[in-house]
Amino acid sequence: IKCHLCPPQSALHASTVLRRVSHEREPFASSSQQQFDSHPSDHQPEQEPQGPRPSYTGQGGQESEDYESEEQLQHRILTAALEFVPEHGWTAEAIAEGAKTLGLSVAAAGMFHSDGSELILHFVSQCNTKLSELLEQEQKLVQLGDAEKKPTDQFLRDAVQARLRMLIPYIDKWPQALSILLLPHNIPSSLNLLTSMIDDIWHYAGDQSTD
Amino acid sequence: AAAGLCPCRTLLARRGGALRALCGSVRGLAAGPETHFGFQTVTEEERREKIYQVFESVAKKYDVMNDSMTLGIHRVWKDILVHKMNPSPGTLLLDVAGGTGDIAFRFINYVRSVRERQLQRKLRHHQNLSWQEISESYQEDKSKSLGDSQVVVCDINKEMLKVGKQKAQHLGYSEGLSWVLGNAEELPFDDDMFDVYTIAFGIRNVTRIDLALQEAYRVLKPGGRFLCLEFSHVNNPLLSRLYDLYSFQVIPVLGEVIAGDWKSYQYLVESIRRFPPQEELKAMIEDAGFFKVDYQNLNSGIVAIHSGFKL
Repeated sequence: IKCHLCPPQSALHASTVLRRVSHEREPFASSSQQQFDSHPSDHQPEQEPQGPRPSYTGQGGQESEDYESEEQLQHRILTAALEFVPEHGWTAEAIAEGAKTLGLSVAAAGMFHSDGSELILHFVSQCNTKLSELLEQEQKLVQLGDAEKKPTDQFLRDAVQARLRMLIPYIDKWPQALSILLLPHNIPSSLNLLTSMIDDIWHYAGDQSTD
Repeated sequence: AAAGLCPCRTLLARRGGALRALCGSVRGLAAGPETHFGFQTVTEEERREKIYQVFESVAKKYDVMNDSMTLGIHRVWKDILVHKMNPSPGTLLLDVAGGTGDIAFRFINYVRSVRERQLQRKLRHHQNLSWQEISESYQEDKSKSLGDSQVVVCDINKEMLKVGKQKAQHLGYSEGLSWVLGNAEELPFDDDMFDVYTIAFGIRNVTRIDLALQEAYRVLKPGGRFLCLEFSHVNNPLLSRLYDLYSFQVIPVLGEVIAGDWKSYQYLVESIRRFPPQEELKAMIEDAGFFKVDYQNLNSGIVAIHSGFKL
């Protein structure tokens, strides 16, 4: 990817260029759910027992403490579904296959919107979280003195490139994902993801402005 | 006709305490827990019997009556239900109180078309295979036009099942379909068997709804979905009045004219009024252990689809 970033005269100028670049490639890549925003290092719990699921419904369907919430289960299903995206695309079928690998019925895909938008948003926010972690690690290295601080344009170029590389496994079906994210009812979430990601990148690039 | 219509009005007027007390005293010696049959009070056992008789007598005209009472809209409601289910090939469906097979047939059609689309997509990617490989793939796909999907239609009433089987034969549905005689309160199936459980316009006739919900929970696989299509409460006051008018004045008359059975359709209309409203049914479903319970009103609440997951 050749991002022709001219040496920024000001941060504002660079941000415009960055927005244009991102807009061309991935208009909708920002973090979605609030929890990812506030806890960038929070991973979905991976160590759930895979055996027969314990029955955990008490009176009135209350949830006990050592049992995962509905949301966590949904995240697990979506993560498992990503594996099937190259074959089935960003569809309810991929989600159904994902649910199957977790030992759930294929009907569990009914929990999600049938256009597959939740799967895409989940993937995008996952990528953004990974990017944030990457940038944070880099920043730590710089602070410890193990690495040199990169000039802003180089930093931005590397950050965007790293983020775009995360799309490579799904690049065949990516146009489909973009078109779904463009649907009117998805635009608020996808735009939200995009802007938070840009904010993150600028934060690590050293931008101190409050805007 | 006017004379026949008057009882409806008086029933409506005295719906509160008086009528029920009258009926109750007449059946004072009846044993067993009391429940309702339309606007009457009966024991649970009596209710089951009465409902069985209702459906025994309407079975042959069931579909015709549905079409005339709802002006054909019930077909759209059932289509919406199956569309909401969005079954993928390989789904195992249990349709309870499925009598004449409406949901089952729609399910089979849906799965077949999804499967066809899948096969077409696969073939498009196989553009550079040899002729041998292509013919092999045709053969294996032909035997799986449904993709291993199956639907089990369960009903408590033999007459309704009979009508359903005849319809299936007539319409040409043979594979992927089974008919089982069973009671929704005590299903003859093992635990964790089905992907989806549907009950369309049937749960209203179940005497112990909580038991039916518990059974639904039991026979569903983890991750399985519960779907219930049922008449519910209209939230729009103007529509509600028109709906009441139509229900109590027109439907029993249609019942008499088309099916020769006033009383069964009187029961139908009354049972709709006695059925718990959307939120209450949602709470009952949650009590049975389902998660992500939600409902969707169709036609401002004349009909509602409740959905829950066993997680």
